[in-house]
Amino acid sequence: MMNQRASAIALVLLLIAVALVAVGLGVGSTGFESILHAVDDPVAWQIVWNIRLPRTLGAWVAGALLGLAGAVAQGLFRNPLADPYLLGSASGASLGVALSLVLFGVSPFATQWLMRLGLTAGAFAGAVAGVLLTLLLAKGVQHTLRLLLAGVIVGVVLGAAKELIMLARPDFLQSMQSFMLGSTGYVGWSAFNIMLLTWLLCMGAAWLLSPVLDGLALGEATAASLGLPLARLRRALVAVLALATGAAVAQTGLVAFVGLAAPHLVRSVVKTSHGRLIGLSSLAGGVLLMAADILARWVIAPQELPVGVLTALLGGGYLLWLMHQRGLSRGVM
Amino acid sequence: MNKSSFMTMRRAAGLLGWALGLTLWLGLHSAVQALQITDDRGTTVTLAQPPQRIVSLLPSLTEMVCALDQCQRLVGVDRYSNFPASVRALPQVGGGLDPNIEAVVALKPNVVLMATSARASERLQALGIKVVALEPKTHADVRRVLEKIGALLGVDDAQRVWRVIDASVSAAAQSLPPAARSTRVYFEVSGGPYGAGESSFIGETLTRLGVKNILPASLGPFPKLNPEFVVRADPDLIMVGDTNYIGMEQRPGWGNMRAMRDKRVCVFNRDEADMLVRPGPRMVDGARLMARCIADKMAPHTP
Amino acid sequence: MSIALSAQSIRASLGDVEVLHGIDLSLVAGRWTSIVGPNGAGKSTLLKVLAGLLPHSGTVTLLGQPLSSLPGRVRAQQLAWLGQNESSADDLTVWDVAMLGRLPHQPWLSSPSAADHAAVEQALRATQAWDWRARALGQLSGGERQRVLLARALAVQAQVLLMDEPLANLDPPHQTDWMGIVRALVAQGSTVVSVLHEVSIALQADDVVVMANGRVLHHGAAHHPATHTAVEQVFDGRISIHAVADQWVVLPRL
Repeated sequence: MMNQRASAIALVLLLIAVALVAVGLGVGSTGFESILHAVDDPVAWQIVWNIRLPRTLGAWVAGALLGLAGAVAQGLFRNPLADPYLLGSASGASLGVALSLVLFGVSPFATQWLMRLGLTAGAFAGAVAGVLLTLLLAKGVQHTLRLLLAGVIVGVVLGAAKELIMLARPDFLQSMQSFMLGSTGYVGWSAFNIMLLTWLLCMGAAWLLSPVLDGLALGEATAASLGLPLARLRRALVAVLALATGAAVAQTGLVAFVGLAAPHLVRSVVKTSHGRLIGLSSLAGGVLLMAADILARWVIAPQELPVGVLTALLGGGYLLWLMHQRGLSRGVM
Repeated sequence: MNKSSFMTMRRAAGLLGWALGLTLWLGLHSAVQALQITDDRGTTVTLAQPPQRIVSLLPSLTEMVCALDQCQRLVGVDRYSNFPASVRALPQVGGGLDPNIEAVVALKPNVVLMATSARASERLQALGIKVVALEPKTHADVRRVLEKIGALLGVDDAQRVWRVIDASVSAAAQSLPPAARSTRVYFEVSGGPYGAGESSFIGETLTRLGVKNILPASLGPFPKLNPEFVVRADPDLIMVGDTNYIGMEQRPGWGNMRAMRDKRVCVFNRDEADMLVRPGPRMVDGARLMARCIADKMAPHTP
Repeated sequence: MSIALSAQSIRASLGDVEVLHGIDLSLVAGRWTSIVGPNGAGKSTLLKVLAGLLPHSGTVTLLGQPLSSLPGRVRAQQLAWLGQNESSADDLTVWDVAMLGRLPHQPWLSSPSAADHAAVEQALRATQAWDWRARALGQLSGGERQRVLLARALAVQAQVLLMDEPLANLDPPHQTDWMGIVRALVAQGSTVVSVLHEVSIALQADDVVVMANGRVLHHGAAHHPATHTAVEQVFDGRISIHAVADQWVVLPRL
């Protein structure tokens, strides 16, 4: 009957998502009148259709990618504090953006390509490179602890490299900060399509790989004794993690907490195997980021808050409440 | 004249000379005694005489010292001071906000000019170095700080320099054709996007040039905008730094704005951006840059 | 009398330290062997090597085949291993955990077959965990959890079953149950190897392997006096073994 519960929760999350899309269409610099005028005013129509709709849907997909990545990370490392940025993807993406900004104007070739691909390509490449560097440092995926340690080291070193660039070019400071705190401001239809494709790919792969995560829950030695080819499957899971995180970070910047909070949110209402957990966590992440994005656009319109601040407040606040609840009933989280 | 009267006269002359000398010395000393400046922190700094060895930790202040023709008194600058070219040869003592204290002290400055928001002032003062904290942020500030620096350096050229600056900015404004005066401008300061509002330095320059800012003053100097807002406002002209121009055309909805369609975008490189952003003597060049670009882009032309 | 599991010249290290210094062992099929020895003797390490879970030099042979030549899945179908509890599966239900034992037999991502269901039910009933199969693992006590993990190992229905400290947290009635399960398995022809520090229960086995300092000191029938002497000696004579009502009992010797 846990499966029925899981299905019910999935349905609820989808319904909430649809409702939030409707709200999202009405929130922005002008508010609801844009929808009402959309029929006769081409600018209003463009605002609703070309700006708000892809942005709202984009927030959902980005959140879904992060929720998926978070569930995979927590299963892979068997640690409820794991989040998608553990393996150096966040610091790699930041460095990628910083380097893109610096390389602009260095040569006409660089300038041309940067204008075409924008900063998103730099962020994605940086994220993937960060994870590869971590894998290199950890010499493969065999030892979880070594992988985690390598991730921390890569994060610190790449972060320092980025800081050095910021020191040399303080004019980038604000641009970098807005990337670090996250925003769906520039998500259009093409960005949404890329993220959606990536999400479908990663969901499929993660679902295929989920039995490994269940086996790993019994301990690495037990999982090995059950005949699971751990190294190969773990590499595949790390690849899914890198791809999903990189795609989300490239389009919306570093959004905090969604990857960490979404799996916890799901686990607090239903206990289920990893296959369903990943799916539900993805849906929950989508709802979380979409809600935070709507608030970010609404609270000080026409100005915007960085969405990362709101996800931290919402996600962190929820986790705090959860800990308080559990602290009352049992001892440990 | 007999011997005794000659001696008296010599004595009187000596006395007179001595009195004259004393008066002269007293007069000179009182003229230059107690050079007092109240800086932007409200602190009053006292110097015995105008400083000959100056370290400047803010590019706009560096430029002001040189505008008053006292470049030769600079012995060290921060790493971001880059104008005029001669200051690049000076020893660099770190960033404006985090200078290398040791390097500053080693230069034995009579005074250090820095921004009010820097923490290093306490440390330097504790080491016995005189710190004058000035941070120009508005057009009015440029005049005020210029005059303060003039007083500090003991030159009375500041007012004249300001008049030239002011007149030049007005001239730049006059140079705009009347049709260009109603241009609605959006100035993007950095990725986010952050725009320059009316109360920012750039916003003030735009106002003086007679053009309109799409951002109302109520949003503050550097609001972080919802990109939708710019689309809705549909400015006639966009001004942006080259690195922030990356990807601007691909932003959802931006490709259809008239400024983007008609290519009415002023893209400034790094050196030009320095002129536009620094509240200092080169605001003239900044104003001229903007005026030239506005006149150029808004000139009626057949595509 | 066939050999189910044998080891030749096994050396293994944990980190830089060599823990097993050349082990030769042959375990006959259809018998229950228990391994005893003081702490740090290398018992758990040996069991892991026999299960193919630790790198080692030397050869391990499972049912006539070298262990390293068997594909992982085939090995997992023939050999089940129950280690000391390191599970973090608090959210999984008892039934789900037991079903994980069927992984070696299931095609990837398929739903459990009728045979899987039957195996899981049998295993859960044997450990008396069937009634709470819908409860989450995290809600169980230590002993109840151990029984579920045991059921998971039983569900594999492997011919060879290796268990490391299977009685952890089990109260006496359930320890007795465990012995009953093992005896039943052995009667059907399975081979069971257990590492136990409860020496009294270890002496209920068919054979005993006595280990100390990474070497096998004695391997013989559990009821044989030579085995008892070896056990007493390996514990520095601080225990004595006595016969009480047909069974051997270990008492401390002060």
